[in-house]
Amino acid sequence: MSLPIHISFLEATARKRIAGLVDPGSLREILPPQEKRVSPHLGLFDAPVSFDDGAVIGEATINGKPVFIFAQEGKFRGGSLGEVHSAKIIGLLQRAAVKKPVAVVGLFDSGGVRLEEANAGEIGATEIIRAIFDVQKAGVPVIGLIGGSCGCFGGASIISCCCDVLIASEEGRLSVSGPEVIETIMGVEAFDSRDKALVWRTTGGKNRFLFGKIARLVNDHIPDFRAAVSEFLVPPQAITSGILRQEQQKLQSRLDLYGKDTDAREIWSQMGLDAAQVPEMSAEELTAAAKKS
Amino acid sequence: MELPDLLQAFFPNGHSIAVNDWLVSGEAVLDGGTVSVLGTTNHAFIGAAEALIVSDKLLAISEQHPGRPVIMLVDNRGQRMALNEELLVLPEYVAHLLKAQQLARLNGSKLIAILYGPAIAGGFIAFGMLADRIIAVPGAEPSVMALEAISRVTKMPLEKLENLAKTISVFAPGCDNFFKMGGVYEIWNDDFSGRLQQLLKSDVSQDLRARLGQARGGRKSAQDVIDEVLRA
Repeated sequence: MSLPIHISFLEATARKRIAGLVDPGSLREILPPQEKRVSPHLGLFDAPVSFDDGAVIGEATINGKPVFIFAQEGKFRGGSLGEVHSAKIIGLLQRAAVKKPVAVVGLFDSGGVRLEEANAGEIGATEIIRAIFDVQKAGVPVIGLIGGSCGCFGGASIISCCCDVLIASEEGRLSVSGPEVIETIMGVEAFDSRDKALVWRTTGGKNRFLFGKIARLVNDHIPDFRAAVSEFLVPPQAITSGILRQEQQKLQSRLDLYGKDTDAREIWSQMGLDAAQVPEMSAEELTAAAKKS
Repeated sequence: MELPDLLQAFFPNGHSIAVNDWLVSGEAVLDGGTVSVLGTTNHAFIGAAEALIVSDKLLAISEQHPGRPVIMLVDNRGQRMALNEELLVLPEYVAHLLKAQQLARLNGSKLIAILYGPAIAGGFIAFGMLADRIIAVPGAEPSVMALEAISRVTKMPLEKLENLAKTISVFAPGCDNFFKMGGVYEIWNDDFSGRLQQLLKSDVSQDLRARLGQARGGRKSAQDVIDEVLRA
């Protein structure tokens, strides 16, 4: 008997992740590293550049269906949003609004805006969001994946939450302000960023899944991400007053029920789950438990 | 500008705008018709509760007055930084507020953001940066992060950052920098009402920021890269 091979999404590079998600050999990368579109700003800070500026974009197929795909490279400056990095993603999204692939798949792995290019990154983040809205308006869904080592923070977190669907692993962290930033600005009693268990249960994929923001929780295994993406290659739900009123109500009741809680375990217990067991569960076990509770 | 002066300068024909703690909400009549006015004051923080209150107002505008221009008054010190906010999935609340802005746009509303106080990081993204046009008036201080904090996080000496900030616009706070990057469309110092009415008559549907950033020299690469990807 052979054991199934574990192919970690967390540890893979952006290109390895894409290779495991799309049909073999189907990726046509746009502006690949050979084109050398580097940051025009990092040199001024005596910082190293990368020939892809930490963003891989291209066209591929999944199960034979055409998709556009972008992936942030967490191993280059924390997958941060700089001018060129953002522009590659904006260009891909604008292209998708015209060419209308079956979906755009976005692999997030980012600490947020690149501080050396803070203004370009912040503006870029909102240009990406405008472009996502235009893609959705064109009838193409945007599917976000979170499971990289840098998580999905700051501007990237807000972009990801504008996607139609989010798929994440337990390892995929999602929040606006990172724990280190909250600790630096508000003090260690506000958020002890060295308490890794606290960080995981606050920002990790399981907590985000139990609130309903993650449509599919998967194990840290690239084929599992791929299987989940294949399920969501369907047209997006249009933004309407009815849909947003439902979302408003859902977010309001979450705030009313849990707004004062400071520990995810209290919330999980209130949801009817065995809070001590949640961190031990696999994605399948937690998905089953959440359906019952 | 202080809020009462700003309201007087923009809406000299009169308005019915209520200020409740941090929330500014109501409507005003311009020569071209009625506009909805929605915003924050007193340097608000944007947390889950604030995002929901503003979203609710925006949804009501879309439902009751689809297509009416929305003037967004921006004065915030950023997203509320707290464990309990992030525990609830704060980025989902911010995204909900952005979708409410997109719904107004889909219904034909022009969204004009007026920056008149601080507009910082996640708070600026949540309310301001997704408008069709972003205007700065006296008092506006758009910012991602103060240089002192950038210095702490990046371990670069503050003096070096201050020197760099004199020659490039890409990272330091301030209206002029955001203008050069294309992130602020125009800076107004007079004739506020007249300029607003002119702007509302124009086509604001295209996101011009990358193109403006290129023309003004602050972002020389973004538009070229976007065009290259479109042609590829």
